[in-house]
This record gives sequence, C-alpha cells and structure tokens, in this order.
Amino acid sequence: MSETRSVETTAADIEAAIEIGLEQLGVSRESVIVEILEEPSRGILGLGARQARIRLTTAAPPRYQTPPAPEPPPAEPEPVAAKPAPRPAARRAVAERVAEPEEDEMRVEPSPESELDDDARVGRATLQELLNKMHIDAEIVVFRSEAAPGEQAPWVLQIRGRDLGMLIGRRGETLAALQYITRLIASRDLERRANIVLDVEGYKSRREKVLRRLATRMAEQAIQLGRTVSLEPMPPYERRIVHLTLRDHPDVVTESVGEGENRKVTIIPRRRS
Amino acid sequence: MVELVEYIAKSLVDDPSQVRVAETTRGGTTTIELEVAPEDMGRIIGKNGRVANAMRVLVRVVAANEGKRVNLDII
Repeated sequence: MSETRSVETTAADIEAAIEIGLEQLGVSRESVIVEILEEPSRGILGLGARQARIRLTTAAPPRYQTPPAPEPPPAEPEPVAAKPAPRPAARRAVAERVAEPEEDEMRVEPSPESELDDDARVGRATLQELLNKMHIDAEIVVFRSEAAPGEQAPWVLQIRGRDLGMLIGRRGETLAALQYITRLIASRDLERRANIVLDVEGYKSRREKVLRRLATRMAEQAIQLGRTVSLEPMPPYERRIVHLTLRDHPDVVTESVGEGENRKVTIIPRRRS
Repeated sequence: MVELVEYIAKSLVDDPSQVRVAETTRGGTTTIELEVAPEDMGRIIGKNGRVANAMRVLVRVVAANEGKRVNLDII
C-alpha cells in the first residue's frame, strides 16, 4: 500500500524515540523517514533538559509493491447523519499528509529503439548481463530523464519486475552498488563515462518527491524554531536532492555534516540583519 | 554467484585470462575467492574499496535469494 502514516514520539534520545515510533507503526527502520523535530539536550544540572522529539513517516516501502489499483470511487455518498464530528487532531494530520495519488511515473514512455545511443545500448546490455548472472528476472525500460540545469540528461535504465525490493536494499544501497558496477563496466566498454542512471520501479523518483517535500517542511521548521534542524543520514544522491531543493530558499542554508554512513543534511536558518 | 563475480571481474581487469573464481562452502557460509593479476588488483578493489564493496553487496543479494550467507575474498 502506498498510504503513508506518520507518528510523533518523544524519548530521552533520538534512537529510543525512533524505536518507540517503529513499534507504534509496526514497520521496520528502512521503511520510514525520520525527522528530528527536536534534538535532546541534557540541560544544566537537570534543568532545561529536553527530550528528543521525532516524527516517523512511512514513505519509502522497503520492498516494491505493486502499485495499488486506482482508488475506486466511493460506492455511495456517505450518509450525512452518520458522519462523526471531525476531531480537532485530524486537521493537522490532513495538512501534513504526505500521501499523494501515485502519479503515472510508472508509465513513462520508453524511448524508441532508434533514438538510443551507445550509452543507452551498452548500459542496457551490461545491466541485462548483470541481472542474468544474479538470476533476476526483470525487464529493462530505457528513457531519457529530465536534465538538471546545466547537465546532459542521462538515460534512465528502469528495472521492472516482481519483488525487486531486494534490488533497492536498505537506503537504496543495493541499487547504488548495481548502478556503480553497471556504469563502471559500461564506461570501460565505451572508453568514456557512460551517461546512465539506474532505477527500480520508479523508486528514485518516488524518493525524490518525498525528499523535496521533506526538505521544504523541515526548512519551515528550522525557520520557526530559529534553530538548525538535522535530517536523517542519507546517501549522497539523496542529500543532493535536499540541497538542490533548498538552494534558492531565501531563509535557510543547508550543509552536510558527519562522515560516511552518518553524513546528513542540516538546515540552518539564515540570520536576518 | 561465481558467474556474477567472474563477469564483473573479467569486465574490469586488463588481463581477463588471469581471473580465477572459486567457491567453497563450510557450515552455512559460502566463501567466494577471487584472484586477479597483481596489476589488476587496484581495478577490482577500487578507491577506498568501492568496487569490492559494491561487488559484495550484489553477491549478498544473490546469496540471500538462495538462503545463504556469503563472503567475498579478494586474494
């Protein structure tokens, strides 16, 4: 199901708050986005100590699931009398809903064979060979992505099939490895850098949307709190999306901190003079 | 898994004829040993071990699908 749910929890530290939230949602760590709403602090001699407050949002299913059938139209108009009074708490939830109808990103038009250049053909052949050797039965659809400003649009090699969640992996680790090896081999064949990216069932485009919304929301929060807000550690590709989303934001700047696996984006409110 | 490692290694080295891949299983763990010409070690390991690590990730996916645990040793 693509429905997103979210929960806010508090605990002495961030990890503990995450644990509680995961339990409440009944999902695993890799299927949620963690937002740190408030960093814990010890305070001085126990005064002013603050608990960690976080929000978990189920947004990136760890395994790809068949997209839900379009919502059937309501069978009948809801009987007005039976309608319960809206709870005040519900209003906030609606405003924050991350769920959006899945758009037809899954139905992108493959580029016609005649338009494919060497990068696309060599990349696809390499990926196909790798998938065969991994005993993974999947289809590869090739299309041109949208170019970021000032860049040549890469080819997207979209892998499609059943149960491909294992090709994505935790935080997209497997997809990143597969893309790295595919590019390396294809670039060696081409004797130049292969302009290709890989995706599995639209995973990256879905992540990108989620991250853009997250970035915008967290920027608002940073401004409101007048404090730096850190996001969950993310791979480079995802951090880049956050940086790009907020690049032209007038009131915040972004910066990555931490090393390796723990590198994360922080959103810093700009000081206004 | 041997096939996969062999394909990747042979595609990346200068001397594919020196690529050897062996698989041994002890207990529940499979070990894949990859051997390449000494001059090709750098290509197989990559900067900061990036190539080797990516190969390990892919091999682990295949192993998981077969219900196995796997180590990839580069010698």
